[in-house]
Amino acid sequence: MASGDFLDLSKLPQRSTVASQRWSSLMTIVLVVCSLISVLTTLGIIAMLVYEASGFFANDQIRLSRFFTDTKWTVGQTQGEIHYGILPLLSGTLRITAIAMLIALPLGVITAVYLSEFASKRVRSILKPALEVLAGIPTVVLGYFAMVFITPYVLQPLGDFKTFNAAAAGIAVGILCLPLVTSLAEDALRAVPRSLREGALGLGATRFETTVKVVLPAALSGIIAAFLLALARAIGETMVVALAAGSTPTWTLDPRLQSQTMAGYIVNTFQSESVVPGSLSYYSIYSVAAVLFVITFGITVLGQYIRRRFREVYN
Amino acid sequence: MAISNTLNRTRSVGSRKSFDRGFQIICLLVASLAIVILVMLVTAILFKGGGWLSWGFLVNSHRENLPEQSGVGQAIIGSLVVCLICGLAAMPIGIATAVFLEEYQPLSRLGRLLHGFIQLNVSNLAGVPSIVYGILGVTAFVYMFGWFGQIQANKPPPVEMGASYFYQTKTLGKKWVQFPASDRTKQVFVIESSLSAFNESGQPIELNVIDRSATAPTEPELRDRTVYAGATASILATKRPWYFHLPFSKSVLSAGLTLALVILPIVIIAAQEAIRAVPSSLREAAYGLGANKWQVVSTTVLPSALPGIMTGAILAMSRAIGEAAPLLAVMGGVISTTNSLGNLMDKSPVLPVTIYRWAQDENPAFENLAAAAIIVLLVFLLLMNSIAILVRNRAERKYA
Repeated sequence: MASGDFLDLSKLPQRSTVASQRWSSLMTIVLVVCSLISVLTTLGIIAMLVYEASGFFANDQIRLSRFFTDTKWTVGQTQGEIHYGILPLLSGTLRITAIAMLIALPLGVITAVYLSEFASKRVRSILKPALEVLAGIPTVVLGYFAMVFITPYVLQPLGDFKTFNAAAAGIAVGILCLPLVTSLAEDALRAVPRSLREGALGLGATRFETTVKVVLPAALSGIIAAFLLALARAIGETMVVALAAGSTPTWTLDPRLQSQTMAGYIVNTFQSESVVPGSLSYYSIYSVAAVLFVITFGITVLGQYIRRRFREVYN
Repeated sequence: MAISNTLNRTRSVGSRKSFDRGFQIICLLVASLAIVILVMLVTAILFKGGGWLSWGFLVNSHRENLPEQSGVGQAIIGSLVVCLICGLAAMPIGIATAVFLEEYQPLSRLGRLLHGFIQLNVSNLAGVPSIVYGILGVTAFVYMFGWFGQIQANKPPPVEMGASYFYQTKTLGKKWVQFPASDRTKQVFVIESSLSAFNESGQPIELNVIDRSATAPTEPELRDRTVYAGATASILATKRPWYFHLPFSKSVLSAGLTLALVILPIVIIAAQEAIRAVPSSLREAAYGLGANKWQVVSTTVLPSALPGIMTGAILAMSRAIGEAAPLLAVMGGVISTTNSLGNLMDKSPVLPVTIYRWAQDENPAFENLAAAAIIVLLVFLLLMNSIAILVRNRAERKYA
């Protein structure tokens, strides 16, 4: 279609003005209904988690206080007393997330600085697509990479790392978050007006000084938003941890040991096919998912809020 | 301020300049890490899986303990079907939402509030972990909140269409005969009296029922349609391609709809950007010609935003085809099925779940097969991305 025939009247349905007005109003309603599906999704998630997680705590054996204080998680294991403390799962998640952020944040911000402040067009045309490809790699592939490459060839020569360990999963999650941090931080750096840079350079600052003392502080809120959004992504990451971090919840700080996360527990439980509605492991999924959802949703909302606010500053 | 402090320091201009150069080099090294990682990843996977790729690998399905005869045939079909369902569900809803958000700026206070809320909701939904969508899929599609009851083993689902149930039994002449089931919930039917049935070639026959004590007929034609009284017939279901039941249970339909929820925010945001890029002069021209709101949208905005929308949609689908976590939740870790995919209510293996299961298999050969399956998945991703770039480039040439 050439741009000339956008409003080819012969293609319009031949209706009277009143009829096409009615049609237009009808379509408005259709569009509103479609838009409400995304709202329904959020409400559905919240309602489902509240309802089913309350089913978990309705069980006589389960008490809410123990859920947040017990340092053992043994739901789904057949032997022994049932412990249902979320702390091991939570600490496993935080361990892996911390490692991931230690990798993704500095590397991502420096890459973003390079792309927005120094890179020539040619370097950019290689780096940007590479980052986009990295962002498009499915997470199950990165999990596999962590399992067959990072653990045996990078980590195990360095120390006594178990076959499944928190460090490998953390590194892979960091790789996964790297493009996200880079692209959000680059947006933030590019939003800093040229005049600020020119002012600093004009005063005799080198480009390094301009970047570190002027541009980065000016883009700080955007970089914090990038950090928060990547954090939410890392906390909810599932397939990498399911493959590389093992399936034993541990209450430790040692990155060489297995480390089941909240998302990892959910997917391992589903995979075991023992999930029958009404069973304890079925309800436990929802209670863990509720904690996971509250944390990630909270961080995302905060990140989006900061991102929106900082955008307004220079526009 | 900060700069004056730096300038006042006693360091010479030369050392500051060399520091600057050093910093740039460090930046370049760090930035190229992304490329190094990418190269290592692709090399490791090609190294492990490259030797296992063959035609047989592409068409076979998983065989327990037989890595040489296993393949991703069923998984490829499963992934494509799930992705198609996902696209068909997510694209209309996503585009409609984007049109509403971009083109319908409400005037009332309440309308503006709703508008802002939907927009906020979309950007926050994009941050929800995909496994949480998986759980939503299990609750909303697999079990449907328990509204229709549960599907139990060996029992037909509460609500269904497109299936016919037959009882099947063997006659004295060792031939199978079938007759329609009156009660689909009964697994076994005891034949007491004569009834009309169909033989193996589908022709109607009259089933001849004789007493156990009676002598069996010798005539072949009669033997082929004779059973003893009290013989049992077991139930058999024939499912049409449009077979459908509620709740959806663990099926490709549940999986596709769940993935649609996962990519919906991505489709909406991409479509919004494409619509925003349509120059407002086009809209104004259409309004000036007397078009109403929907006419402007359908004849002007959507056609010129379509390439951008399609690019975003294809990229969202390439996210969907690599998603494993929601599918593991919705379909379980299914890795092979005895029947090929016949209707939307069937389960099917998909590529990402197959990769996951093979990577965890105790037989180390399957670890290499997982790498081969990753190569297949990456080829699909490459194809989808190339199509997206092609669509974008063609559109750019047209509207430049």
